[in-house]
Amino acid sequence: MTSPTDDHLRAAVLRALSTEPQTEGLNLRIGVLNGVVHIGGDVASGETRALAETICGQVAGVRGVVNRIQAPGAPIPSRTIHVDLSNDKGRGQ
Amino acid sequence: MTSVPGPALQEHRPNAARAMSALSKVRHFTDLPPHIQAALAELALPRHYAAGQVIYLEGEPGTTVYLLESGWVRATRTSPEGREQALLFLRPGEIFGDIAVFNGTVYPGTVVALEDADVWAIDGPALLDLVARHPELALAVIRRLADRVSHFIGLVEDLSLRSVEARLARTLLRNAEKRDGGLFVPRREWTTFDQMATRLGTVRDVLSRALHTLEEEGLLQVGRHEIVLLNPEGLARRGDK
Repeated sequence: MTSPTDDHLRAAVLRALSTEPQTEGLNLRIGVLNGVVHIGGDVASGETRALAETICGQVAGVRGVVNRIQAPGAPIPSRTIHVDLSNDKGRGQ
Repeated sequence: MTSVPGPALQEHRPNAARAMSALSKVRHFTDLPPHIQAALAELALPRHYAAGQVIYLEGEPGTTVYLLESGWVRATRTSPEGREQALLFLRPGEIFGDIAVFNGTVYPGTVVALEDADVWAIDGPALLDLVARHPELALAVIRRLADRVSHFIGLVEDLSLRSVEARLARTLLRNAEKRDGGLFVPRREWTTFDQMATRLGTVRDVLSRALHTLEEEGLLQVGRHEIVLLNPEGLARRGDK
């Protein structure tokens, strides 16, 4: 079954994105596995893509973000991986 | 702010005949009675994904099973250290997303279209309901999952027991095409060094060294558009090491 921690993190990430004016209306897809957030979808600019990644990464307990959001100027295939192995705070593991 | 399930459906009413045709090509589903195939086709909705587009992400709730009708897709899993490992490369006639739906959890890997892909999306709960009512379908699903388990046993064996050179040799032989009396692996099968490294569970530098080693041993020749397998028997021996 899904880890309760990942479930809680996913809910927290969705909440964080919905409270930021620049990301609240975006159709983003979110998955969380082992504390790493995976984000996908299409946005209009690289700045918004980067902002979404930053917001996800700031949620307590998130160990890393794999950003697969497609945006003008984003890497093709669109993928940026930032994993902070030292960030195990709040993971309960 | 909500998490959305992907691109808009191409059409509201599924093209049942086209879906039936796609289902008829799925291993273990070909012998299903027509009324069960028709019931499955009724559930299937067409979707199109452009090359590079995400079909689903690891850690997303598993709500949908997909049937690949055309194109080529790749499933990967990201390690806690941020390294990607290829789980599956899927061709038309393959089903994916089923594991998460059948065990009621999240998708264990990310699936991305490597080229433009047409898929049929089947709602997970509706599929489970159909499986519960039709033992023949349940048996077909079990056989498909058994195939998948066999694949992953092979992957575990590859990653834990074989060197990168051996994995490379085996992968090249598996994907070789015969032409003009020779064996070639077309560029399409690896696309980039990063792609191939992901497939072999290694990184670009190690893959590059492995290719160089096999080239120096006279087993293959790396060209711009293809890899020529100069000594298939030698590669097969290398693959067993």
